[in-house]
Amino acid sequence: MSAEAPGALASRRGLLDWLAPAIQPTIALVISAIVGGLLVLAMGQDPLQIYGVLISGSLVGVPNLMVTLQMTTPLLFTGLAVSIAFRAGLWNIGVEGQLLVGAFFAGLVGWLAPLPTFLHVPLTLIAAMAGGALWAAIPAFLRIKLNVNELVVCLMLNPIALLLTGFFAIHVFKAPGPTNKLPDVLETAILPQFSLFSQANWGVFIALGCCAIFTVVNNATIRGFEWKIMGLNPTFAYYGGIDVPRRALWAMLISGAVAGLGGAEEVMGVYGAFFDNFSPGYGFDGIAVAMLANFNPIGVVAAAGLFGALDSGGAVLQMTTGSSKYLVEVLQFLTVLILAARFSWEWLRAGGRGQPTRRAVGVINEPEPHPTAEEA
Amino acid sequence: MSADSTPVVRLRDIAKRFGSFVAIQSASMDIGGGEIHALVGENGAGKSTLMNILYGLLQRSDGEIDFDGRPVSFASPREAIAAGIGMVHQHFKLAPSFTVSENIILGAEPLKSLDRVDMARADEETRRLSERFGLNLDPRAIISTLPVGLRQRVEILKALYRDARILILDEPTAVLTPQETRELFVTMRRLADGGHSIIFITHKLQEVLAAADHISVMRQGRVVATIDNEGVTAQEIARLMVGRPVLLRVAKTQARPDEKPTLEVKGLTALGDRGETAVDDLSLTLRAGEIVGLAGVQGNGQDELVQCIAGLRLPVSGNLSISGKPLGRTPRDNRAAGLAYIPADRGAVGLSLQSSIWENLTVGHLDEFSSGPFFAAARARRKAAQLIGRFDVRGAEPDKLAGSLSGGNQQKVQIARELTRNAAVVIAEQPSQGVDIGAIEQIHRILVEMRDARKSVFVISADLDEIFSISDRILVIYRGRIVVDLRAEATTPEEVGRYMGGLHEASSTGGNAS
Amino acid sequence: MDLEILHSTVRISTPLILAALGGLLTYQAGMLNIALDGFMIVAAFTGVAMAYFSGSLVVAILAAVGASMLLAALMALFNIWFRAHIFIAGTAVTFLAYGLTALLLKGIFGQDALFTSDAIPTFTTIVVPVIAGIPVLSQIFSGHTILVYVAYLLVPVVAWALYRTRWGLRLRVVGEAPEAAATAGVNVDGVKFQAMLLSGLFCGLAGAYLSLAYVTLFSKEMTHERGLIALAAIFFARGSPYLTTVVALLFGAATALSVTLPQVTGLAPQLLQMIPYVVTVLALVAVGWQSTRARNKHRAWRFDLS
Repeated sequence: MSAEAPGALASRRGLLDWLAPAIQPTIALVISAIVGGLLVLAMGQDPLQIYGVLISGSLVGVPNLMVTLQMTTPLLFTGLAVSIAFRAGLWNIGVEGQLLVGAFFAGLVGWLAPLPTFLHVPLTLIAAMAGGALWAAIPAFLRIKLNVNELVVCLMLNPIALLLTGFFAIHVFKAPGPTNKLPDVLETAILPQFSLFSQANWGVFIALGCCAIFTVVNNATIRGFEWKIMGLNPTFAYYGGIDVPRRALWAMLISGAVAGLGGAEEVMGVYGAFFDNFSPGYGFDGIAVAMLANFNPIGVVAAAGLFGALDSGGAVLQMTTGSSKYLVEVLQFLTVLILAARFSWEWLRAGGRGQPTRRAVGVINEPEPHPTAEEA
Repeated sequence: MSADSTPVVRLRDIAKRFGSFVAIQSASMDIGGGEIHALVGENGAGKSTLMNILYGLLQRSDGEIDFDGRPVSFASPREAIAAGIGMVHQHFKLAPSFTVSENIILGAEPLKSLDRVDMARADEETRRLSERFGLNLDPRAIISTLPVGLRQRVEILKALYRDARILILDEPTAVLTPQETRELFVTMRRLADGGHSIIFITHKLQEVLAAADHISVMRQGRVVATIDNEGVTAQEIARLMVGRPVLLRVAKTQARPDEKPTLEVKGLTALGDRGETAVDDLSLTLRAGEIVGLAGVQGNGQDELVQCIAGLRLPVSGNLSISGKPLGRTPRDNRAAGLAYIPADRGAVGLSLQSSIWENLTVGHLDEFSSGPFFAAARARRKAAQLIGRFDVRGAEPDKLAGSLSGGNQQKVQIARELTRNAAVVIAEQPSQGVDIGAIEQIHRILVEMRDARKSVFVISADLDEIFSISDRILVIYRGRIVVDLRAEATTPEEVGRYMGGLHEASSTGGNAS
Repeated sequence: MDLEILHSTVRISTPLILAALGGLLTYQAGMLNIALDGFMIVAAFTGVAMAYFSGSLVVAILAAVGASMLLAALMALFNIWFRAHIFIAGTAVTFLAYGLTALLLKGIFGQDALFTSDAIPTFTTIVVPVIAGIPVLSQIFSGHTILVYVAYLLVPVVAWALYRTRWGLRLRVVGEAPEAAATAGVNVDGVKFQAMLLSGLFCGLAGAYLSLAYVTLFSKEMTHERGLIALAAIFFARGSPYLTTVVALLFGAATALSVTLPQVTGLAPQLLQMIPYVVTVLALVAVGWQSTRARNKHRAWRFDLS
C-alpha cells in the first residue's frame, strides 16, 4: 500500500509554513469573536465597545499590562505542560491536578525548610516538579503497563488532587485562624513580585525559560526529535529504534513537572502560601492554550499571552462596565471547539460527503477512547 | 456437476481501472445454481477485486453483470444482499460480546410490538437455519467464546439468513485448521446440494481439487480459463496461474555466497493477531553474498516471520541469530545487530507520512547526528539532500512531506535510509508493491549491489516475476513453514507456483519436502 | 442511623442518576461523553430563567431539556461529523456552557454569582399512596418531588430500551463493533447522534431538577462536577443501567455523608468526596490488569489503547 491522494497531505515546507500554523487558530478566533459579538448584541450591548474594553483593559497602560502578565504566567506553564505531552502523543489532561500537587509540595517545602534563599528557592521548585511528576506518573504507568486509558485516569485524578490537597491544607497542616491554607511560605522561598499593580512575579521568567528550553529541546535535541516522531506514528518510531514506552513515560513525567512548576509560581509568587482550591482552572485553560499554539512552545507564549490578555481584559470589563467577564471564557472555549474540528478543505469543497481527511495537528491520529473496546 | 444449466450469475467482460492502473482487464465467468466454483490466482491477479465488484463494494469500469438472465448493477452491498448475494470476508465483522443470533439478525431483526426484538424467534430461526445447513451453531453462544471455524459459520449464516442464493467466500481457509477446513467443505457441499451457488477465492490448489466443481483461473487481470474439475491436475492449474515466460531478469553475475551463515532462523513458531498459528516451527538460513527470495501467497506467515525477525512481534519459541549472535527483542537491538528491514507497510511502519522526508531519512540514524543530547538537524537535512540525489528520489526535497511522494519514491526513501547503514542482513518486504516499472528496476539493481557487497538480501514477495527476476535462491512458505529450497536457475514459475499452492507432496522429486 | 440521611441520599442521587442514564447511553454507543456537566448547567439555567419568566414549571422543564439537547446536538456535530476528538470537544463544550450560563446570569438577571426569586414556582412534594402508610419506608421514599420519581422510574425504562429493543441492540453493537454494525446496514453516525441527543435529554432533566427542585436558584457551576461523578459511576459499572444506578446511589450517599458526617465526627469531608473518584480509578486498574493478562502477547507491536 502507499499513500493515495498525496494532495491531501502535501504541503511545501518553507516560508509559507511559518505562517500556516497560525492560520487555523486565527480563523477559529475570528469565528468565535463573531459569535461572541452576536451574543453580546443579543443581550443588548455594543460588541465593539465590549471588545474595545477587552483590548484596552488588558494592554493599555502599565497597570493593565502587569495584570495581563500575572494572568499569563500560569497559562505559560500549563500550556507548555500540555504541549509537551500531546506532542509526544499522550493525552495529559491531568495538568490541573499536577499543578495542584506541585503547588502543595511547594507550599510545604516553602514553609517547612529554613534555608537561605539561594538554596530554598531551587529546592522548593524541585519539590513542586516532583509533585507534578508524581501525579503524572500515575496515569503514565497505568497507560504503559496496564493499557488503561490515560484520559479517564487523568479526569478522575484531577478532583482527587483537589480534594487531597484541600484535606491536607485544611485538616492537617492548616495555618492558624479561620483560613483554608497552609502556613505562609518563608521569606526565603518567595518569588519577588514586580510591582504593586499586580502579582506578576519572577516566576514568569521561569516560565519563559521553560518555553525557551523546550523550543531548544524540540528542535535541537535527540529527545525532542524522538517525541515528535512518536507523536505522529509510534509504530514507525519503534521500528526506527526509538524506545517508545520509555520516552512516553518521560514525556508524561516532564509534562507533570512543568505543571507542578506552574503551581509553584502561584504559591511562591502570587499568594505566598498554598490556598485550597486556588486554581480557577489553569489546567483546563492550558489545554486551550496548547491547542491554540499547535503544541509549539513559542506558540504557547503567544497563545498564553492572548488568553492572559483576555482574562485580564475580562476582569476590567467586569469592573468598569456591567458586563460579565465570562464572555471571555465563552470566546476561549468556542475557539477550542472550532479548532478541534479536523477536516480538510477538500472535504468541505465536496460538500461534506465522504470521509473527512484527518490532518495531524501534532497529535497522533489516535483512535478515540473506546469504553467498550474488545478484541475480536 | 450441478443440474442447473442456466447461469445464475454471468459476468461478461468485466474491466476495472483505478485511474491509470488496470486491475482487471477482462473477466468473464458463469456461475450456475448449485455449483461450487473456485476462483484461483496469485496475489494481484484480480480475484478479490472481481468479487468486490459482484458484491457491490466496487463499481466496474466496463462489462456487464447478469443475474438470473437480467442485467444488474449493484451500487452497494445492500443491493447485492437484497438480490441474494452474500459475502464472507477474510476479516469477520462480528460483535464479540454478543450472541450468535444477535450477530446474525442485526439489521434485519424480528420484532414484537414496541420495537422489541423477538429474541425467541431470532434464536429459533437461527437454530433452524443452522440445523438445515448442518452448521450446528448454538444461537445463544457468545462470539468471543467461539473458535475461528465456528465464527466463520456465523458469517455464513448471516448471509443465509438474508436469503443469499450465492455465497462468495474470500480465502475462507486462511485462518482454519485442517479439520475445520474439511468441515467447511462439507458445509459447502451441503449448501450447493441445496441449490446455493458458492464462489470461493483461494490460492490453495489442493483445496480447489478437493472441493470445486468448476475452476476459474485468473492471471494478471484476466480470467484465462474456466474448467471443470474432472481429471484436472494441480500442475495444469498452476501452469494456468503462473505460466508465462519469465520476462525481467536483472543483470547479475553468478552468486558466490559465503559458507558461513548470517541470518539463522531455527524452529520459529509465532502467532498471528487473531491467535492463530502463523509461523509453524520454521527454519531458514541466509548467507552473505546471496539474494534469497521468499515466495508465497500473502497470509501464509510471511508477515509474522518478518515481524519476529525485526523485533515487532514476540515469537512463541525459536532462535534467531545473525552470525551466531542472538537477535534482540526490539527493533533497536536488531538494528544494532546488523539488520536492515524495509517494510511493506510504508504508511504505517516504514515511514511517517506526516513527517518531512529528511525526518524520515534520519530516524534510525540518530546516533550519527547526535553530539551528547543535541541533534544536528541542519547536518541531517544536508545528508538527506545527498541521499535524495544519490537514490534518485523524484519530486523530493528534504522539507517536503513524505506523504507527497509516489509509492516508488517512498520506497526509495525507505531504501535510502536502510541501506546506508552497515547492515549485514537486508530484508526487503514486497519491494515492488505500488511501485512503477522504472523504479522497480532501480530498486532491484540496488539490491543486487547489496548482494555484491557481501550482504545477505532476503526478499519477501508475492510477485513471482520479482522473485524470479532477482533471487539466487528461492524458498517457498506455505502454512507457516518453508516447504522447499530451490536454486533459481534450476526451477520454473510453475514449480514454485505448485509449492505456493501447497502441492509439495506432488513435486517432481516425489518425496515430501515439508 | 438517621433516616433523614437516606431521604437526602435519594434526593442527592437523583441528578446523578439522571446524568448517569444519559451518559451510559453514549458510553454504550462507544463515546466518552464528558460534557454531562455542560449539558446540565445550561439546563439548570434555562429552567430557572423560563420558570421565572413564564411562571410555569412545565414550560421550564421543556425549555431546560430543549437547551440541553441543543448543546448535545452541537457536541454531536463536532464529534461525529467534524471528527473533533471527543475529549477536546467535551471539555470545550463544558467550559463553553459554564461561561455562557455565567454570562447570561449577569446579562439577563444582573447577578454575578447567584439568582433566585420568590417568583420562581416550586415543585410540590408528592405523598406516595401506599408507601406513605409504612413507617420507615415513608420517611425515605415518600415526600419527594416528581422528578425524583421520574428519575428512578426511568432506570428500568432505559434498561428495557437498551436490552430489549432493536434500537438498543443496534446502539450496543455500534459501541462495541461499529464495522459489524455498518456492514449490517446500521447507520452508525445516526445511532451515535441519537445517543448523544438522549444524553442531552436526560441531563436536561437532571439540570432542571438541580435548579428547580433540589434548590430553587441558579448559581455558577452549580453542578459541582456531578457529571464527572456520574461518569465515574458509569465506568465503574461498565455502562450497565441497574448497576450504574446502584453505584450512583452509593456515590450520592458518599456525597450526602460528606456533608453530615463531618459535623458529627469531625472527619474531613474531602475524604468522603474522594470516594467516587478513587473507587473508579481502582476499578479501571482492575479492568486494565485483567485485560492485559488476557491480551495476546504475541501480536504485532502496537502503542494504541486496545
